[in-house]
Amino acid sequence: MNFFGGEDRACGPQRMLVRVLLALRCEARRSPDPAVDRQRAERLADRIIAELPRSVLPLGIAALVVVAVVCAGPLLRDALTERTALAGPAPVATVVEAGIREQGAALQDGFATIRAIVEPFAESDRAVHADGPPGPNGFAPCCDPPCDAAAPFPRS
Amino acid sequence: MLDQRTERLVIQRARKGDREAITTLIQSYQRPLEAFLFRLCGKPELAEDLAQEAFVRVIRSLDRFDEQYRFSTWLFTIGKRLLVNAQQKMRPTSDSETVEYRADDTRTPLLAVESAEREQRIGKLVEIAIDSLVSPQREIVLLFHQQGWPVQRIAAELGMPEGTVKSHLFRARRRMLFAIEQSGVSNPEEVLR
Repeated sequence: MNFFGGEDRACGPQRMLVRVLLALRCEARRSPDPAVDRQRAERLADRIIAELPRSVLPLGIAALVVVAVVCAGPLLRDALTERTALAGPAPVATVVEAGIREQGAALQDGFATIRAIVEPFAESDRAVHADGPPGPNGFAPCCDPPCDAAAPFPRS
Repeated sequence: MLDQRTERLVIQRARKGDREAITTLIQSYQRPLEAFLFRLCGKPELAEDLAQEAFVRVIRSLDRFDEQYRFSTWLFTIGKRLLVNAQQKMRPTSDSETVEYRADDTRTPLLAVESAEREQRIGKLVEIAIDSLVSPQREIVLLFHQQGWPVQRIAAELGMPEGTVKSHLFRARRRMLFAIEQSGVSNPEEVLR
């Protein structure tokens, strides 16, 4: 039986095939002079290392472009909104301005509420002092200073 | 060839741009890859250029390398893809100077002990045998007999069952034997002596 399961009729070609396969195997091995392989490898390594920054450069440029687009987005949006505001009748230009106006309106409501609470007391106070002649500023003059009326000790 | 553990350590250093590690990787696989590509395309200069390009691409992309796989498998896959791209308009035939190239190649260990004339005859037989193979038999024979990959690894790389790889190997050897018989070499001792 031969290498292929058949009869051993072609010993010569089979030996040659084995020799061919051995030669193939030898092709993939290192050379007897490792210095030659080393020099070739070093040359290629130098070339690859020299080219590495060039491969990084496009990535850096792409990253810069992305950052620029992201940063310019809000500015562009504001510019477009402003142009729309100028062209149209809408009075509120920005969200910030709208917020300030809302806060102003709330304050006005607060003042009105306080005024509504205080108003009746002011009316009754005015009625108490209405019998005396009004002062030069329209207020009724006070008879005694509060400190004298409330003083527990005789004057020295 | 590096063992898998050493290979991982070297790759980790090479990722950081260590020149020594990159050189070690190249030195370990340059000749096997060149030999593989040369036997696939039959053009030594093309094989050398493609091997260099494969190294450039692989080392630039080392960050993406999954360490659970073999570096050589990745490298050979990229080399083969580059060859396929380069060969789109070429037939996989050998140059007329192929035999002379191999005969002049003092890097081949056999030449250190054998005469150039005898090596030239064996080189011619290798060329005849390999040229008789078609894809994927040629690739399987090269990975098994030239690169020494086990059947299991070849099957995983080519995405086919191990039995199919073995079947291809058997048929390829029979085809090569037939090509050698038909080559007109009447006396094998003349070649093998």
